[in-house]
Amino acid sequence: MPSVVVVLGVAVLAPFLNTVTEAARTGGEAVAVAVTDPNAEPLTPREQAVHVLNRLAFGAMPDQVTALAEAGWEAWVREQLAPQSIDDREVMARIEVLAPSLAMSMGEIFDVYQPDYAGDYPTRDEERREAKLRQKAQIELRKAVIARAVFSRCQFQEVIVEFWRNHFSVDHNKEEVAYLANHYEENVIRKHAFGRFSDMLMASAKHPAMLLYLDNAVSQKPLSDAEEEEVARYVGRRRLPESILKKLRRQSGLNENYARELMELHTLGVLHENRKGGYSQRDVEELARVLTGWTAGFWNDEEEYGFIFRDDWHDRLPKVVLGRRMSGRRGIAEGEAVIKRLGTDRRTAQFISYKLCRYLVNDDPPDDLVKRVAGVFRTSRGHLPTVYEAIIFSPAFMDRANYLAKFKTPFEFTISALRATGATIKLYAHLYASLTDMGQPVYAQEDPTGYFDQAEAWLDPGVLLHRWHFALQLAEGRVDGVRLDPQFIDALNELPPEQMKQRMVANLLPAGIDPRTDAVLDKAMETIGVYRLQMLGLLIGTPAFQQQ
Amino acid sequence: MSTTRRQFIKQSGATIFGASTLGAVDPETLLAQEMPKLEGRDRPTLVAIYLRGGADSLNTIVPYADPLYYRHRPNIAVRRDGNPREQVIPLNKQFGLHPNMASLMPLFKQGLVAPIINVGSPHPTRSHFDAQDFMERAAPGVRQITEGWLNRFLTMTRSNDDSNFRALSLQATLPRSLRGQHPVLAFPSLQIEHTIDTFEELYGCEEDQRLQKRGAIVESSAEAMRRKVTDAGASTIKLIHELRQIIAQTRSNANYPTSGFGQQMSDLAKLIKARRGLEVAALDYGGWDLHAFQGGSLGTMALKLGDISSTLTAFAEDLGPDLNRVLVMVMSEFGRTTLENGSEGTDHGHGGFMLLLGGQVNGSKIYGKWTGLELESLNDGRDMPVHTDFRQVFAEALSDLYGFDPFAQQFFPGYNHRAQPLGILHPHA
Repeated sequence: MPSVVVVLGVAVLAPFLNTVTEAARTGGEAVAVAVTDPNAEPLTPREQAVHVLNRLAFGAMPDQVTALAEAGWEAWVREQLAPQSIDDREVMARIEVLAPSLAMSMGEIFDVYQPDYAGDYPTRDEERREAKLRQKAQIELRKAVIARAVFSRCQFQEVIVEFWRNHFSVDHNKEEVAYLANHYEENVIRKHAFGRFSDMLMASAKHPAMLLYLDNAVSQKPLSDAEEEEVARYVGRRRLPESILKKLRRQSGLNENYARELMELHTLGVLHENRKGGYSQRDVEELARVLTGWTAGFWNDEEEYGFIFRDDWHDRLPKVVLGRRMSGRRGIAEGEAVIKRLGTDRRTAQFISYKLCRYLVNDDPPDDLVKRVAGVFRTSRGHLPTVYEAIIFSPAFMDRANYLAKFKTPFEFTISALRATGATIKLYAHLYASLTDMGQPVYAQEDPTGYFDQAEAWLDPGVLLHRWHFALQLAEGRVDGVRLDPQFIDALNELPPEQMKQRMVANLLPAGIDPRTDAVLDKAMETIGVYRLQMLGLLIGTPAFQQQ
Repeated sequence: MSTTRRQFIKQSGATIFGASTLGAVDPETLLAQEMPKLEGRDRPTLVAIYLRGGADSLNTIVPYADPLYYRHRPNIAVRRDGNPREQVIPLNKQFGLHPNMASLMPLFKQGLVAPIINVGSPHPTRSHFDAQDFMERAAPGVRQITEGWLNRFLTMTRSNDDSNFRALSLQATLPRSLRGQHPVLAFPSLQIEHTIDTFEELYGCEEDQRLQKRGAIVESSAEAMRRKVTDAGASTIKLIHELRQIIAQTRSNANYPTSGFGQQMSDLAKLIKARRGLEVAALDYGGWDLHAFQGGSLGTMALKLGDISSTLTAFAEDLGPDLNRVLVMVMSEFGRTTLENGSEGTDHGHGGFMLLLGGQVNGSKIYGKWTGLELESLNDGRDMPVHTDFRQVFAEALSDLYGFDPFAQQFFPGYNHRAQPLGILHPHA
C-alpha cells in the first residue's frame, strides 16, 4: 500500500491572531488577564546572542552562541557591517571553483555558455549542448547562493543580500536571464548591498537580466515616426485633441511590465497605487514610454553584451510622470532622471524601511521604528549600512516581543540546519531539490515580488512536511553530498544519553527547549538506542527550530 | 484575504495587450456563483491530467487514412499494417488510436471517451514554461494572472459546506492550475510514514487545547509563534491520518498498472468512491518532450500511451457507477511538429489533442476541425493548427459538470467568446 501524505498548499491561519484577546474570551467568565506582559522582560545576554545569530546570520554554528554571548554581540555586528574587513578567502576560493561564471562579463558568459551555431540553425547536437550549458549556468548560481549562505564568514552580508535578491527579484528560468542572472547577482545585488540604494536601483534598471525578465527590453514607442511627427505639431498646446490623446495612448509596441514593477515593487510600494499622493495607471503608462529604448544586446564587434539605449525605439514625445512634465527630447537622461527621483522619494524611503524592518525585526514592525528608519534613510540619502545600523541598534530590535517571533523561510531553514550541524557540502543537487520541494528554488520565483518573508506566506502544513522529511534525511546522512560535522557527531555518540541530549539541544536550539519537546526527546531516547542521529532530525524538525 | 499575495493586489492591472482592462481576475471580489449545491457525496469530480512537455497528437489520434502522414513521418509514423498488435486501431474512417491504447476502444464505443484534435492555445509561444503557464492559468499572454484556473474555480464556488478534501493534487508540488488562495491537498510520492510517525508526538496539540480551555494564556511572541507552527503541523498529521484511513477502508475494483501513474489513479479512485466531496484533482505526467527517437507503433511514447490507456481503463472500471459524475481531461501545452525531425523525433508545435473520459461525455466521436496535412494548412508551415481554443473545452466542462457559467463572470480574462458549443458533454442530470 503506497503511503499517502497530505499537505495543505495554502495557509489557513486566520484564527491565530491576537492571542491575548482570544484567550481572554475563551476563559468564559471574566478572567483577569495576567498583569505582567511576558514580552516586557529584557533579553538575557545569551538570548541576545541567539537573536543576533538568528536574524543577522543564517543561524548559529555549533558553540557560536556561547562565544558570542561572552564576547558581546555589538562588536560582532560592527564587524559584520563592514564585510570588506573580514577575511573570507576560503569561501571566495570555493565560489571560484563552483561558479566560474560569476566572475565573467556578460559577453564572456555568452561566449562560454551559449556558443554559436556552426550554421544558421542549430543541429540536434548543438541544441542539446546549448540546453546543457544553459543549465550549467543556472546550477552555478544556485550553488554559489547556497554555499555562501552556509559558509561565508560575512554572514550579515549574505542575510542582507538575500533580502535584496528578493526585492529586485528576477527569474532565471526565463530565456536569457539564465545566463545574465549570474552577472546580476554579483554586479547589481552584491556590489551595492553595502552602498547606496539609488545605485542599486539604477544598476538593476540598466541590467539586461531585469530588462529581459520584465520585458522592458522589447518595449518600443507606441507611435511610428510619421505619427510622432503628426502628434508633435500639437505638443506645447494646453489641450490636446482627443484623437491625438488616443494616439498617444495606443500601446502596441509598448510594454508596461517593468514600469509598473519599478514603482510598485522596487520603490514607492503598492500601497500607493491609485491613492492620493500615489501613482496611477496613467503614471505606469507614461513611465513605460519614458523607458522605451532601454534594452540590451551585443554592443560591438568585440561581442561585449550589456545595456543598450535604442534611440529609434525611444518615445520622444512629452510625458508626465508623477506630476512632473518632461519634454521628451532628453533621451536616456529622461529615464535616469525619473529613476533618480524614485530612488530618493519619501515614499520609497518609507517602503524600503518598512520592508527591511519586516525582514530583520518583525512581520508586523512597529510604526515608530519604521518611521525613524525612514528618516535615517532620507537623511543618509539611502546609505544602506547606515540604515541597517539604525535598525539593528534600535531598542526595538532587541525587544523580547521580536525574539523568536519570525518563521524561517525554507531557505533560512535549510541553511540554518546545515550551519547548526557543521555540515560539509560536496554536492548541491539534492539540497536544491529539497529547497524546491519546500517552495523556494533559488532565483526561480516566477513573480517579480520575489519570495515573501512573512510567516503568512510560508506557514503551511505542507512546508512543514517537507522540512520534517529533510530534517530526518539530513540527520541520517541521506542528503546526497552533505555530511554532518564528524567531530560533532562523534562527540555526541560518545556522551551518555542525557548529556548527549543537552549537547544537541545547546547547539540546535540554543534558545532553550520547551517542556513538550523535552518530554518527547526523553521518550525518544528510551526507544532510539543506536539511532541517536534521529534525535538530531527531531530537533531540526521541531517547531522551535522553525523560529528565528 | 491576504494582502501579501500578489494576485489580490492586482486589481487595476492594465495589460500589455491594449487599452481594454483585461485586469487580473480577483476571485474574491466576484460574487460566488449560485450553483446547484449537491451534497458532498454527490459532487462531480474533474480530474485534470497534464502531459508535460508537449504531447504529440498525430501519433495518438492517428490520421492513418492520409498518405501525407506517412510521407511526413517516414520513420515514426504509427503503422497500419504488419503485426496486428502494432497497427493503428481505427476510430473512424479518418483517424485511429495508437495500438497501445486498445483498452480504450470499448469505452470509446460505449460513448465514454472523446478525443479532441487541433485544440490548443491561440498564443504562438512554443516555450514550455510560457505555454504551460498560459494554459494552466487559462489566460494566454496575460502574465499578471498568477492563480491557476482550477483554483480560481474553487475560490469562486466556495461555500460553507465544502469538504476538507475539495481539491487534491496527486504529487508533491501543486501544478500551476491548482495554485492560488484556495487550499489544496497534495500527495507527495515520498514514503513518509516514518516521517509522520517521528513527528507526531512533537506536534500533537492536545496539551495546548487543554491550556486554552482553562483560560487566559498570555504568551510571549516566541510562544505564540511556536504554537502557530505546532498547530500547522498538527493539521497536517490529522489530514494525513484521515486520508490514510479512507484509502485503507476502500477497495480497488480493478487492476491498475504498477506504474506511478497507475498507483496515483488507484488512490484517486478510492477517494472518489469514498464520496468525501472531492471536486477537483490534478496530476502531471511528464516526459513527452520527445525531440529524438520518439518511436511510432513502438518506442518511448508508445509505452507512455500504453500506461495511460491501461490506467484510465482500470480507473473507469474501478469507479463503476461513480464514473457518471467524473470527468477526466487529458491535455498538454501544445502538440508537436507535423514532420519528423532529423533525429526521429519531433519538435515543439502548436495544435495538439485532448482526451476526455467520463459518464457525461458525448463519446464515440472525434471533436475538433481537421484541415489536413498539406504544408499550406499547417501553422507556420510546420505545426498542426489550433482550430479549437482550449478554453472552450474548459468552459463546457465547468458548465456541464458543475453548472458553472464561466462567461458570466469573466472567468477567462479576455475571452468571452461563446463559440458554437462543441457539445462534448451532456449536462449534469
